[in-house]
Parts: sequence; structure tokens; C-alpha cells
Amino acid sequence: MPRFQLNPLTRRKIRRFRSIRRGWWSLVIFTFMMVAALAAELWVNDRALVVRYQENFYFPTYGAPLPGTTFGLDYAYETDYRDLSRRFTAAGEGNWVLMPPVPYGPYSTDLRDDLFPPFAPDWHQRHFFGTDTVGRDVLARLVYGFRIAIFFSLGLLVVNYAIGVSLGCAMGYFGGRFDLFFQRLIEIWSNVPFLYVIIIISSIAVPNFWILVLIMAIFGWIGITWTMRTVTYKERERDYVLAARVLGASHGRIILRHILPNTVAVIVTYAPFSVSSGIVALTSLDYLGFGLPPPTPSWGELLAQGWTYMSAWWIVASVVGAMVVTLVAVTFIGEAVREALDPKLYTTYE
Amino acid sequence: MKNGAVMPINPKSTKDPDFKAILIFFLIALSLLITACDGDPSADPDRRAETETAKVAASPARRPRQTLPEGIVWQTNDTDPVFASPEAVRGGTLHEALLSFPLTFRTVGPDSNSSFRSAILDNQLSLVGIHPNTEKIIPELATHWAFDDDRRTMYFKLDKRARWSDGHPVTADDFAYTLDFMRSEHIVAPWYNDYYSREIERVIIYDDHTLAVVAARPVPDLHLRIAIAPTPEHFYGQLGDDFVMAYNWKIVPNTGAYQISDFEKGRRVRFKRKANWWAEDRRYFKHRFNVDTVVFTVVRDFNLMWEYFKKRRLDTFALNLPAYWHVKSKTDVIEKGYVERIWFFNDTQQSAQGLWLNLDREIFADRRVRYAFAHAMNIEKVIDQVLRGDFYRLEHGFMGYGDYSNPDIRARRFDLGKVEALMTDAGWQRGTDGIWARGDQRFAVEVTYSLEEHTARLVVLREEARKAGIELELRRLDATAAYKKVLEKKHDVAWMGWSTSLRPQYWEHFHSANAHKPQTNNITNTDDPQMDRLIDAYRNSLDAGQRAALSRQIQEKIHEIGAFVPTFMVPYVRQAYWRWWCLPDPAGTRHTGDLFDPFSSATGGLFWYDAERRTETEAAMKGDHGFGPVTRIDDTYKMPSLR
Repeated sequence: MPRFQLNPLTRRKIRRFRSIRRGWWSLVIFTFMMVAALAAELWVNDRALVVRYQENFYFPTYGAPLPGTTFGLDYAYETDYRDLSRRFTAAGEGNWVLMPPVPYGPYSTDLRDDLFPPFAPDWHQRHFFGTDTVGRDVLARLVYGFRIAIFFSLGLLVVNYAIGVSLGCAMGYFGGRFDLFFQRLIEIWSNVPFLYVIIIISSIAVPNFWILVLIMAIFGWIGITWTMRTVTYKERERDYVLAARVLGASHGRIILRHILPNTVAVIVTYAPFSVSSGIVALTSLDYLGFGLPPPTPSWGELLAQGWTYMSAWWIVASVVGAMVVTLVAVTFIGEAVREALDPKLYTTYE
Repeated sequence: MKNGAVMPINPKSTKDPDFKAILIFFLIALSLLITACDGDPSADPDRRAETETAKVAASPARRPRQTLPEGIVWQTNDTDPVFASPEAVRGGTLHEALLSFPLTFRTVGPDSNSSFRSAILDNQLSLVGIHPNTEKIIPELATHWAFDDDRRTMYFKLDKRARWSDGHPVTADDFAYTLDFMRSEHIVAPWYNDYYSREIERVIIYDDHTLAVVAARPVPDLHLRIAIAPTPEHFYGQLGDDFVMAYNWKIVPNTGAYQISDFEKGRRVRFKRKANWWAEDRRYFKHRFNVDTVVFTVVRDFNLMWEYFKKRRLDTFALNLPAYWHVKSKTDVIEKGYVERIWFFNDTQQSAQGLWLNLDREIFADRRVRYAFAHAMNIEKVIDQVLRGDFYRLEHGFMGYGDYSNPDIRARRFDLGKVEALMTDAGWQRGTDGIWARGDQRFAVEVTYSLEEHTARLVVLREEARKAGIELELRRLDATAAYKKVLEKKHDVAWMGWSTSLRPQYWEHFHSANAHKPQTNNITNTDDPQMDRLIDAYRNSLDAGQRAALSRQIQEKIHEIGAFVPTFMVPYVRQAYWRWWCLPDPAGTRHTGDLFDPFSSATGGLFWYDAERRTETEAAMKGDHGFGPVTRIDDTYKMPSLR
């Protein structure tokens, strides 16, 4: 069985990356956040993890909702597990409910008689970050909002880079009129005020997740194209490319097998910064009310609420705190990657 | 907007807050354009108000005079109670805020339909007005009036002292000119062109101060239709193709108490009270319009307005939103009593706010499904737990119209049992996700709305509707986009409200003539022969009693069809004001929508400024001692059904 072996250069880069502790720990934290967000249903949810009812176990977390009648309640809509838990405890018949640590979903409203949201953080009610102005748990909205934002920005990254990298490579490699034509096109395209265009489009039709990714990608691919074009221009003139051509390799093979692997450092360096700008873009669109349709959990919407209700400091503090942590982590990762891949490190001037 | 439902026929009729909000949003969108205009150095080098003599036309050819018919019985009204306070004193400056600067000072033509237009129009008096408490006719520019037996002609005797703000007397020719002006194609206002051609036939002049206005056909409440305002012929003269551009920033002479004195585009507009206003001693104008100056400053954000208000840069602030009244009011200046609050109940036409179901959608073809939808809307929970019990349930779309409102209709309440029964009866079953389904149909409908503030309400409705097995997909669109979508009948359910008028309007909203076609206000596509007959009878009747009876019947029919789920009404105004502003007792009138409206000829200008109290308050603020919080509740005009 062949063992997966990294080439020594790559191993050195990884060692170098790990030695930059700020970046390394940011990566650890960020990975943890991603995993936690992916498994959000298990720890932030208004559905119970386990229900023990009349000698049976139920695991309602995933799958179709269980109507209240399942547990001997008098309604046919989805069971309110927080209420069920209270009832079981009161009845004391050996039935029990295990709720997640944060027993609220991103959409569930926790309204009370004679009191009005937003509610301040309350350890006892397990609203660790308080509630928003509709009575939804801020932590739940943050976690699910993060999940959407991060996958939005990764999706955007993939689409942007797919377009930008291939076009940039082609421009740099083929040069000539092809290059000239696309240069002009990009110059014109990049003068379109993209935020306004997105606002106009999304005020006419409410975009869903993928449509919003595509709309933003229409203008987002430009940045990486310039860089890739320049890098490819440089690589094209290198001896190994000429050698490959002499050996009769096709253009496609040269670009994909020879040039692209040598420019990967550039792409990897830019990626973390693109991720953070994607998060910022989605948040600002949501803030302005032109992002994903309500009631999708979103940081921008929380930010807008925070501004309207300055006195509910926990809303604005939570979302600003979460943004700072995320963006700082991503930026530190990006810096560490850039440093680890910096070719100057291996050059000695003596 | 051209079919006149969102735009009230009488520009002075009560405006619905939602309508204003739509305009405000529209204006925010267009404010980008303003900035662009500001950059043009040639646009307006001199930013001070241009003098009113900008264009003095040669004296127009005199219109032919006719002989006044015999036997006219002149009426007037000098016996209805006055509603201003004799304690009112003159003086002071009122600072108000605008969300965006108007795109033009014209009141007709492109971009003129902004919320600021009412500030200009309110200073343009009409022939007669409506008493805000008794709803009887009261004099404005005319002192006497008379009805002809043909039920489409009204005679008026003008007040001989009536003057334009540039000193010219107001004459009968100015009213004849209104028709010429409004019918002119140069003003680029098709709706006005149409209205003044089709609804008003002509103006007859008997002498400089006696005239008649003739409607195109006999109509009920004739005085509401033909009490037109004059237009200064000596100012406009002959209109030309350049009207729209030339009159963008002209200050047109007016007849009301205030006139624009100066403005700075994009920033502020200042109105000054006329030194010797011709009408200041008239019975219904006496002790009103007391402040010397009214300044509108642009503050482009509602939250920011609140901050400005607390810093004394604005004098009043509307606290209708529960969050402001209950939470944000817990602030120093209010706790110490430097700012006082008032909760004033009115009894005025309520906007038809709610969920409008599109009957052309297959799912809503079945009446039982519509009823089930209504029973699945937990409006009471929204009122109690989101709106803090401050709003009231709207029972049907036409409350507050006096005799024209049916007091017996009750909106369908949230009731899971009824939803269950109705849906099962209609052949639906709950799917695995708890949502009703039949065949490949699922009871999931899109709700189109536009105001961000309403999201909180809809989120709760959505959660509750899920319990009833109905899925609401919320679609918030920009105000104009939402409005367009709904008018083109592309919605499942529209969450919106209509503006009001003095009498209910049914033909636009419920007659089959407007169903199944775009750009009409029948957004439910109601198409019911019995309804058509009732509406036709209502429109053709000239007898007030019969019309009121028909109106109540139509409301019953609307309830029975069930395409409209009424939501909330706000039969009051709540405002905060700095302590040195005084209000009469009662603080407003039956139809007051804003206690600090400086201009409205019907309900405005009742407040006054007390310089002594200001000195006293400012001294207290310096010494940091308070007066204790003051909240005045005035329920003189509270709707009988709410007591």
C-alpha cells in the first residue's frame, strides 16, 4: 500500500506555517468553529436530543418533525420540547427529555406574558447571549448565521476562483489579442458599481442562497484574474514551459499540469482574505436588507437590530464580537499562509 | 398610483402611515439622484428662495361673466364649535425632521408625490373645508355656498379679503385657471389631467367673487369632489414645455398661513408665518397656526431623528411604535419631565391593513381554505406579545367611517380547531412535515411585504401558522418593487395597507371590472356578481342613508368572501414634545393624525409655544433637577367600540 507522501518542500511549508503560532491557533479555532457550526443541530436547537417516553427512546434532532400527539400532547403541530421537558419533570413518571445546551432554534421565538423582547442574557433561561427584538436566541442566530455566512463565502470563493483563475491563466498564457480584449472587458466591468447592481437586482427579486452567490460572483471574479494573469505571464517564459512545449504538450496540459501547480501559492495566499471579504459582503447586504430573505438567520440583520436597539447592548456586542473573532482568525490564517509560502524565505543574499 | 386608491383623491384627506412610509422609502432610493443634482454648479447657484415675482404674466384676458341664477339659497357655517384654544399665543420656532429632501416643490408632475407635498398643499386653502369634529362644511376661501338642484353644481361666494401671499386678491378667475392648469399637458400629470377633465366639468364665473363649480355628473358628497383650490394665474401665466424644469424650485404664491421663506437643497426648508394673514381672525382659524417659523431639517435616519430629538434639535417626535413608547422612552429627558408625552385617541378612518389573498391562485379558490388561512393567523398573539397590546385588532377593512362602518363584523380569530375542521372538510391532509397537503399541493404561500419593521410581526405569524399547518414564505421587497408585484397580481398573499378617504371606496378594490388585470387596486381579484351589484348601487346612490346601508352590506360581503384578513389598527397618535409646547384641551380633533401638524387647514396648528416654560425648563436642566415624568392620556375621541 503506497503511503501518502508530501513532497519535502510542502512539508517544510507546513512546518513553517505551524511555527507561526498565531496563524496556527487561528486555524485550529476556525476549524473548530466550522465543525461546531456544521453540527449546530446537536447543541443549538429547539428539538430535543433524546426523549424517553413510555419505555421508548426518540431522537428528534434530524428528520421529520414529531407532532405533539407522539408524546400524548393535545396538538398536531411539532412538539414544543422545552414545554415537554417541563411537563415530564412535573409529572415525574420516569419520562425525560434531554435538551441541547442551547435549547433554542434560530427561528423559535421565546415570548413571555407581560415581558417584551429583547431579553438580556439570562443563564437560567439558557439565553446565553440574550434574545433579539423578536425573542429569538441571539446565540442560535449567530451560530446558524455563521454557518450560512461561511458557506456562502466559501461557495463564492469557489465560483470566483473558478472563473478568475481560468480566465486569468488563459489571458496570461495566450497573451496577444485575447489578452487585450479581456483586459478592456474587465476594465469596463470593474467600473460597474457592483453593490448598487446587487441592491437593484435583489430589490426586484428576492434572491436565494445560490442566486446571491452567482450575482456576487458576476462581479467578484475580477480581482483574482489580474493576479493570475500576471503570474502566468511570468511562468510562461520559464524554461520548463518551453521544455514541455518542445516535448509536444498541448496548451491545456501545460496550463493545468505545469503552470497552475506553480501558481497555487498565490491562490492559496489570496483565499483567506477572499473568505473574509465574502463574509463582510453578505453581512453588509443583510444589514441593508438586500441579502437573504428574512427570517434567515444572519449577522447583518442582527447588526441592524443592534443599531435600532442600542440599549439592548447584548445584540450588538454579540454580533460585533463574533465578527471580530471570525475576521481576525481568518486574517491571521491568511497572514501565516502568506508567510509560510513566501519564496523569499528560501533565498539567501550573501 | 394613477387609479387614485393609494393617492387620495383629495390631497388633504387623511394619509395612512404605510403610504407615507412607502413614499419615504421611495424617496430614500431616489436621494442618490439628489446628490447627483447637487453636484451640478449650474443647477442653482443662488440657494435662497426665489422671489415670488419670478414670472409675472401680463394680466390675463378676462373670462366672460354670466348672470347668477335666481333663487339661490346661500348657506354658511358659523355655529359649529371651535376647536382651537383661546389661550394660544404667537411665537416660537418649530423644528421638524424630513427623512429626505423633496425632489421638487411642484405639487404636480414628475417626482412631486412626496410626503413633503402635503406641507405645501396644506398651505393652499380650498373653497370650503370639513369640520374635523362634526364633518360639516366650514368656510375656507368661500364664506358662503349653495347647492343647485341638479346635484352637480355648487355656488360659492369668495371671501373678499382673501389674498395670495404676494398681495394679489384671490378671485373667481383663479379657480377657473385651476381647470386650465390641471388640464394642461405641460404639467405632465396624467392623473390630474384626467381627474380635472372627467370629474369636474367647468367653473362658471358670475363676478370676481362669485362662482360655481360643476361636476361632470351628480355625485354623493358633492362638496368633497368640487371644493377645488385656486391656482395663481398671475404667477404662472401661459404654461410652456419647460414647466417641469422651470417650476422645480419656484415658490408658488399661496393662501394659507405660512409660506416657504428660504431653503437649502438637501438640508432644510423654512416656512414663515405671514405677518398679516388675511384669515387669522376667521372663526375656524382663530388661535391657530401660532408658531412664527417652522423649519424642516433633513435627517436621513429614523433612529438618528430620535437622537436629535433628545438633544433638543427637534421639538416633537412620534412615539406610535411600541418600542419607542415603552423602551426608548425610558430616557433621562422624559423621566425628568423635560419632555412630555401624550397618548391621544382619535376616531378617524382606519387604513385597511392586512393580508390580501389572491383569489386567482388555485389554492385560494376554495373558500374553506381562505377561512382556514384567516383562522391560522394569530394576530392576537402578535398584538399581545410583539406590539405590547398597543395596537387594536382591525375587525374589517373599513372601520372609523361612522355610519358607513358595520359594527357587527368580527374578524376571524386564531383557532386551530376551525382550521382543522375546514381543511379536512376541503379534502386536505397533514403531510409528514405537519403542513397541509392535497395531492401534490402543499399549503405553502408567499407573503409579500416591504417594511423592515414588520418582519418581527410576520415572524411570529409564521411560527404560529406552522402550528396550524400553513407555511408562510416571507418575501420582503423594496417598497416600489413590492407595490408593482402586487398591482400586477403576481402575489399569493400581500401584506399591505391602503390609504383612506372620507368615504369608503369599494369599486377600486372589489369590483369585477378591476379583477384579473394588472395595475388595478383589486388585488384580491374579487369577482362576484352579487358584490358588483352592491357596489354599483352604492356608487349610483345619491342618498346618504341608503349609501351607508349599502356600505355596511358590502362590508359583510367582503367578510363572507374572506379574501382579506384584517390585522391591526392604530386609532390614536402618541407623541413626545419638549415641555414648552402647549396643546389645547382636548389636544386635537376627532380626525387629528398628528398633534403637531403645523399646517393642515382642517386639524393642524393647534399647539403653541410658551417662552416662559422654556426658560424654566432650561434652568432646571442646567441645575439638573426634574419635574417628574408627564404622560397625558386624552381619550375624548376614543372609538366607542374600544371603550
